[in-house]
Amino acid sequence: MTDALSASGLCKRYRSTWALRECDLALPAGRVIALVGPNGAGKTTLLRLTVGLLSPTSGSIEVFGSSPTTNTPQALARIGFLAQEHPLYRSFTVADLLHFGASLNIRFDRPLAEKRLASLDIPLNRKAGALSGGQQSQVALALALAKRPDLLVLDEPLSSLDPVARREFLQTLMGAVAQDGITVLFSSHVVHELERVCDYLVVLNNGRIAIDDDIETLLERHKILTGPRSDVHDPMLGTVIEATHSDRHTSLLVRDGAAIEGWQEQPAGLEDVVLAYLRGGVAMDRTKVAAE
Amino acid sequence: MIWMTWRQHRAEMLVLTGIVAVAGLILLMQGLSIRGLFPDGAAACANSDVTNGDSCAQALSKLSDGYGHPEPISFLATLMPFVIGAFLGAPLLGREFEAGTWQLAWTQAVPRLRWLAVKVTVLAGLTVLLTLAFSAMVTWYRAPVDTFDGRLGQVGYEVEGVAPVAYALFAFAVATVAGVLLRRSLAGLALAAAAFVMARIAVASLARPKFASAMTVLQTVQDKGPGDTRGTGNAGDWVLGTTFIDSSGHKLSTATLEKLSGDAANAGVSIPAYFQQHGIHRAVNYQPGDRFWHFQWIESGLYVGAALLLVALVAWRVRRRSL
Repeated sequence: MTDALSASGLCKRYRSTWALRECDLALPAGRVIALVGPNGAGKTTLLRLTVGLLSPTSGSIEVFGSSPTTNTPQALARIGFLAQEHPLYRSFTVADLLHFGASLNIRFDRPLAEKRLASLDIPLNRKAGALSGGQQSQVALALALAKRPDLLVLDEPLSSLDPVARREFLQTLMGAVAQDGITVLFSSHVVHELERVCDYLVVLNNGRIAIDDDIETLLERHKILTGPRSDVHDPMLGTVIEATHSDRHTSLLVRDGAAIEGWQEQPAGLEDVVLAYLRGGVAMDRTKVAAE
Repeated sequence: MIWMTWRQHRAEMLVLTGIVAVAGLILLMQGLSIRGLFPDGAAACANSDVTNGDSCAQALSKLSDGYGHPEPISFLATLMPFVIGAFLGAPLLGREFEAGTWQLAWTQAVPRLRWLAVKVTVLAGLTVLLTLAFSAMVTWYRAPVDTFDGRLGQVGYEVEGVAPVAYALFAFAVATVAGVLLRRSLAGLALAAAAFVMARIAVASLARPKFASAMTVLQTVQDKGPGDTRGTGNAGDWVLGTTFIDSSGHKLSTATLEKLSGDAANAGVSIPAYFQQHGIHRAVNYQPGDRFWHFQWIESGLYVGAALLLVALVAWRVRRRSL
């Protein structure tokens, strides 16, 4: 099966600053993929490269086997994009926006969008600028979904929403995923809200890929080990990602390790793992060790 | 796409069309009242000796007192090409960047160069239609006034014929580029205004007098009076400058002229008489008035060419944009 997104040696530079360096990625299709990283890590750049709004400085990127920079109607039809702050034409009514979507797309499903908006009680004759932030994000999502994309890309879709709107937004999104089986790639800088909805994780730090893995595998491979304080590392414990020491104890977040005598083992939370990699500035070893 | 262009820009389109329509009404009313001054047509007064034709003298003095407001109207008319072109051009991309909607527009299934091509065609097309209509109305309105002074070298040259259309297209392109560079439509409008005015001044003062090689006519210097012609004797010609040359064809400097005037006074003759005695002639450097269309087409070509270059620049930026 072709990957939904694959990149090799992907670099993007803005004048003298590098936004992305040497990124290699292979994201499987049919998954809900979270792209996580601190502000300025290059998330927006990676997403814009994915949808063809930017072209790479060097390296290549492919969406379902074809380059998004070709900018052909066929390539454009396969992706749906929801930019940060879900921009809409504010003077357009919701109906105008649907007309816009229908006239600029090949396989735009207008009845589907209308049904979605009706179920959310969003009036079609209201101007987009007069809608609440949550409603605007729903309209933008409905537009992107009505394109019937194979890959839906969302840039920080939750950041400008209040908790209620967040839940509603995720509900709509997950409903669509369950129905159409599309691949979703979305960015966020908060980890804890992703665990419920995502099954694949990409962590970007400083323009480089730190983690690119299935969440389940990721959690299986990482553990928190607690034992007597020691500054010498026993290789039996695994690869240490992060170590914290108190007076008597040492707590390690390790990969592919196990507790030895005198140590206790605990599962690591997703947030613990992500933060450990980000703080340590390290990248995950991509050669996956078969779990014994 | 055409529906989209209309929906996005209909406010500007309607307002500008409204402005041109209202301007047309005003021009019609004022143009009719100017025509009312010349029941036999303005040409009849231009040909007859004004001092003898009593009704013509009255009409002309009324006209020069501002009857029918040719001066303020012509001044406002010089602004119109910019207003029309820039208000359609500045938001084309400036507003998309301002609101972030470029990301929405360019991720639909229309390749962005096609998107740009449709928008530019529709909006530039409207710019041409509106300025063409406006220029035609101004040309009609100013026709009686132009009968007396011609159009080349006058304000008529800049508000009549095809030049206003070219100015408007240039304003459209400059404003579009400014909108891209500043990513704001209002700031883009301001930048475009500055660039537009500078280009217009540069072309008018540096390039336009050289569109065709100027002609020179030599005149005997006369005493002030009916025999003393002003300019070339043809009011429609565009006089670029007047100099005095001696019998061997050399241009006389200001210092020499002052010295000669002093000599004339010492010799007890009038300056014109003294100049005649010494074979000094007045040389009038001018562009003949019948070159109006020739000049208009050259100037239009210049501005349309610049507009095309700027649009190509926009297309290049849109194609390979890096934020």
